[in-house]
Amino acid sequence: MRDLRDMLVIARRELLERVRSKWFVLITLLGPIGMVAIVLVPALLAARSAEGAKVEIVDQTGVIAKPLSEGLAALAWIPTILPRETPAEVEMVRIRDKQINGFVTIPADALDGGQIVYRGDNGSNQAVGFALRVIIDTVVQTERGKRAGIAPDKLAQVLQRASFVAQQTSGKEQGASAMGSFMIAYFLAFILYMVITVYGVGVMRSVVQEKTSRVMELMVATVKPRSLMAGKILGVGSAGLIQIVAWLAMAVLTMAYREQILGWFGVTGTGAGLPPITVDAAVLVIAYFVLGFFFYASLYAAVGAMVSSEQDTQQVQMPITMLMVIGIVCAPMISGDPRGTPAIVMTMIPLWSSMLMPMRYVLGAASLGEVAISLGILVVSMAVMVAAAAKIYRVGVLMYGKRPGLGELIRWLRY
Amino acid sequence: MTNALVVRGLVKAFGNHLAVDDISFEVPRGVVYGILGPNGAGKSTTLRMINDIFAPDAGTITVLEGLSPGPAAAQHIGYLPEERGLYPKMKVVEMIEFIGELRGLSRAEAKRRAWRWLDRLGLAQWGKNKVQDLSKGMQQKVQFATALIHEPALVILDEPWSGLDPINAEVLRQVVDEIRAAGRTVLFSTHQMEQAEKVVDSVCIIARGKKLLDGNLKDIKRRQAGDGLIALELGDAASRATAETLLADKALVAETRAPRAELGADWEVKLADGVTSQQLLAALVSAQVNVRRFEVVIPTLHQIFVDQVGASAAVAERRPEAA
Repeated sequence: MRDLRDMLVIARRELLERVRSKWFVLITLLGPIGMVAIVLVPALLAARSAEGAKVEIVDQTGVIAKPLSEGLAALAWIPTILPRETPAEVEMVRIRDKQINGFVTIPADALDGGQIVYRGDNGSNQAVGFALRVIIDTVVQTERGKRAGIAPDKLAQVLQRASFVAQQTSGKEQGASAMGSFMIAYFLAFILYMVITVYGVGVMRSVVQEKTSRVMELMVATVKPRSLMAGKILGVGSAGLIQIVAWLAMAVLTMAYREQILGWFGVTGTGAGLPPITVDAAVLVIAYFVLGFFFYASLYAAVGAMVSSEQDTQQVQMPITMLMVIGIVCAPMISGDPRGTPAIVMTMIPLWSSMLMPMRYVLGAASLGEVAISLGILVVSMAVMVAAAAKIYRVGVLMYGKRPGLGELIRWLRY
Repeated sequence: MTNALVVRGLVKAFGNHLAVDDISFEVPRGVVYGILGPNGAGKSTTLRMINDIFAPDAGTITVLEGLSPGPAAAQHIGYLPEERGLYPKMKVVEMIEFIGELRGLSRAEAKRRAWRWLDRLGLAQWGKNKVQDLSKGMQQKVQFATALIHEPALVILDEPWSGLDPINAEVLRQVVDEIRAAGRTVLFSTHQMEQAEKVVDSVCIIARGKKLLDGNLKDIKRRQAGDGLIALELGDAASRATAETLLADKALVAETRAPRAELGADWEVKLADGVTSQQLLAALVSAQVNVRRFEVVIPTLHQIFVDQVGASAAVAERRPEAA
């Protein structure tokens, strides 16, 4: 009872110290915007930059330049057709002098497989490459059709693209867009990885700071080290939980109003690619966050108790960070084959289940039974980890100076 | 009289080093008790065991009649650790409040008392600042407040004078007097005998982890005085020769030394074993020596400390040769 009260008082202090900081508020509110911006801004910039591109065309066939020029003009590019004998060197100079962005060279045998080349200062821009490829494909195929004597209306039918879409489903529900599911799942795994790491490291730093500010002796005299550690993890974790709930809420809202939001960016379309985040998925994310955080935070707390300065933490936290990185590195593999054996094994191991299981679940590849087993394993290993960490913490917090060796650590565990 | 603290046969080793070696003492309620010893004597280790920071290897500690060190006892103990330290980013008043709450006060009560202590210590205008904005001396005062806010029955102060200027040392002395007046108990450690002598009722002197001496300071002084150190001052020069002959008698006097300056006497006389001051006085009077001053010297705490610790050091140095 007393321990519980102590723990809550300590948790409150840790939580307030974090939540009151300007950075916490800023990151909680702007974090998702930043994340979205990282994806959106380059794409938007790329799409915009193709407009108004000045392109010149040197055509040896005499039949491609005109339809190509019309196609590009329709995309608001500024194409110009040059005499066929214009040498490439002249064009290169014009690019250098910034008179044009680039030029298309079409060889005489272009209809028979000769390579059409675009050279320009925006040649690496995907949007530019994509637009040219589509238009040139259509123009060349149309000319080939004409040469073969196919009527234009027939030709249009032949060239009509097949309609195709890939969908993600476990067989139970209507399929959602494969790309969308992948993005949501990966987003969740990444958020879990990030928040667990950031706040786990936060716990460790907080322990080390108690040592360096020498407040530890007062604290250990006042409360049990176990309450101190538990309160700290709870307080720091609550800050993480607030953040993750805020982000999930923002994500859910964004999904619900995605059409309007896409509209602001001038993008029209249904945006139907993204499946909604369901309530059960959100609950699962929170459950795995809490358990995974306690698991890793107690590890971090024990590590913090073992060292006596901020510099030392850099080395000792490496192994833990590596463990987590293995999980996030394997995330694409899991989403690629969410029902495969590696996926099942990794989502059972408590080191990674907290990051990867919500992802597998969102992809519809984990049964509730599997989720229950994975949660069970995580709960048990978390309890073991917390107990072991508390012992290391108890002995370690008052040690200054030398870092304990492995043998000494084992003795601490028996203590 | 009941005891605020009873320590029996306390032992604590770190590796091969015996930091505390079979120490026992009792602290009665309502007294100011000093644990005195040179650096590395085991003072802080002893206080840490009382605060449940270390577990003793052997021995028992009883706090306030029946409590063992731990969370229940912690409600009644206030502690100023040797390692001073606060949360640097916390507001001053919240830091004091926080410890008060952990020591069992309600949040509202802790808040009220925190402000009262800040007022008392002249830090009220700093209450809303962060701890790290305060000077070392001010932080020290805040640390005192964290030890006292819950009005503990037993206040433990580890080296309370270290880093205090004379004015704040005086404030501390007043606070200690108030705690005693309220019937509460203060246990402190120090190696600064002048400061200790001003406030202390009882002492325990330790060195190298071992107890050398403990008890009420007045009793100790009386006992040490009984060891026979006498300041002697004569009325006229004629008596001097007579007195010198008398003092040369080894059956009566073990040693005659030039007096220490603060005594202001002619001689400092150490009596031979078994001789009382009365016998020497009688001998002097019957020899018709004109005695202006005959005083059994009450040693200062400093003197007792130096004698005790010095003797123990001498023993410790001889030991390797004997082995």
